[in-house]
Amino acid sequence: MSVIAVATGRGAWARLGAGIRHHKMASFGAGIVILMVLSALLAPWLAPHDPLEQDVLLRLASPSADFPLGNDSFGRDILARILWGGRVSLYVSTLSVLIAIFVGGALGILAGYIGGLFDRVLMAAMDVLLSFPTLVMGLLVVAMMGPTVGNLILAITLTAVAPFARIARAPTLTVKERDFVEAGRALGFSHLRIMVVHILPNVLDDILVMGALWLATAIRTEASLSFIGLGVRPPTASWGGMIREGFENILDAPWLAIFPSIAILVVMFGLNMLGDGLRDTSDPRLRHE
Amino acid sequence: MSEAGELPLAVDGLTTAFRVEGRWYDAIRDVSFSVARNETLALVGESGCGKSITALSIMGLVPKANGRITAGRVLLDGRDLVPLDETEMEKIRGNAISMIFQEPMTSLNPVLPIGFQVAEALRYHTALTGEAARARALALLEHVKVPSAARRFDDYPHQFSGGMRQRVMIAIALACSPQIILADEPTTALDVTIQAQVLALLAELKSETGMAMIFITHNLGVVASIADRVAVMYAGDLIEIAPVEELFEHPMHPYTEALLSSIPRVDRDAGDLKPIAGQVPPITAMPSGCRYADRCPLRVPRCATMPPLVGLAVDPNHQVRCWVRAADESVSA
Repeated sequence: MSVIAVATGRGAWARLGAGIRHHKMASFGAGIVILMVLSALLAPWLAPHDPLEQDVLLRLASPSADFPLGNDSFGRDILARILWGGRVSLYVSTLSVLIAIFVGGALGILAGYIGGLFDRVLMAAMDVLLSFPTLVMGLLVVAMMGPTVGNLILAITLTAVAPFARIARAPTLTVKERDFVEAGRALGFSHLRIMVVHILPNVLDDILVMGALWLATAIRTEASLSFIGLGVRPPTASWGGMIREGFENILDAPWLAIFPSIAILVVMFGLNMLGDGLRDTSDPRLRHE
Repeated sequence: MSEAGELPLAVDGLTTAFRVEGRWYDAIRDVSFSVARNETLALVGESGCGKSITALSIMGLVPKANGRITAGRVLLDGRDLVPLDETEMEKIRGNAISMIFQEPMTSLNPVLPIGFQVAEALRYHTALTGEAARARALALLEHVKVPSAARRFDDYPHQFSGGMRQRVMIAIALACSPQIILADEPTTALDVTIQAQVLALLAELKSETGMAMIFITHNLGVVASIADRVAVMYAGDLIEIAPVEELFEHPMHPYTEALLSSIPRVDRDAGDLKPIAGQVPPITAMPSGCRYADRCPLRVPRCATMPPLVGLAVDPNHQVRCWVRAADESVSA
């Protein structure tokens, strides 16, 4: 769909890109996020050891030159597990947020554009979804359907669709009243084309800002579910799962829980800085500060 | 109306109603006119007289939730557009009939480059794709005299002045070589110098392509400079239609007369300006007869019934919807 590529490729992305570069907080946050994403992607090359390799002799070993973040209760390298765990966390949260952006964004634009009864029914359904706390929804889905990565993604997506539908609907309500929408109708464009080519690029920055903030929430949800044992199954490394394993030995070997916690903290910090910065730069009322 | 088949556009007895608080009221009633090739028909009248409703009715863009065409036909090359469904209308809009809007500032999508917006109409309605559409769009922009169009092809609307944006809008409207252009107050939002340029451009394009143009405006100065014929509307009725010189020299309908004497002129004192007394009746309380009757100095009892739009005996091209004036003229002829 070259039309969409052209429509979305220039306006919103270019504006957000320029916004990030001119905003200290946003560029700092973006830097952290890029660093974390790179380290997760390059984990197979960066990790000094195999994340699954066990060594009884190194059980709960404190940080050393060879294992800079220490070893867990199976003697596995914590640094390697954090790097590999980042892959799982980022994979699950990115995929679920992307699906939520797509589904929620589409529903929100449809609801805002069509309006009337369709809008009311759809938004009422979204309100019902929204009333579930993220963790409760996660528990519900994973408990009912089993703790697989697919279900984990489904659970996080379900809680994120409603906020994206709301964030896409609100600007659609005002954008659809603008003259260029009527001008598009007068050019014979179909409603679908107007929504995709003409309204979407106008609401995209709101959605993307929300996307950065929800990515942080999704990482936290994934970690929480893994922490209570409903997320990624051991022995696969995940940050939430590592904190849980470390929790059992928190008095003897605090580094087991502390280092993955710091990893979660840093990523969420970076994503929130990026999201807040993006919101500042995309909101003209805040742009002058 | 028998020659309708040869005309690019003929509107016949068009009546469009809107729902206000659950009841339907006619916003325009029994509007009939036609436009020939290479002809500009100006549709004039004050705000709210139904000019834009007429345009939207022709385009099939009357909001369905609370508006509908209740009677009449819109004949494009003899084919009635009123019964067509949405998909068929989408093929006609922007293709056979296109529209230029009043506000060039807001009628372009602010987040899309102008070149893309011109090419989009081409890609949508013609077989042109990719580079071919881009090249044709660039040619169109050059044709409407957007300076250094090649360099500015990928610029966004906010980087252009109002006059340039209106040129871009005209390029979009012309993209698919329409037979009819509906220009809804295209110069109202522009400075006078830019207005003159845009009017000259439209006149030039019209004579090049031979398309018919319906030019909606409330500015009689603009009418005098661009129109071949003028149709005057009042409160949803088309009350007079005549060739432009004829209308300015011999206005027949008392409203047209009053309208012409309310134009400020440099060579006259402001004291000579005659405002029209009274108000346009609200849509919910329209008289069933002549809608101007309440404000009309020539009112007779017969005005309580709707007068027909009739051609004058002296000049059948000059039609007027007035019991008193049409009768006078026929008697004197």
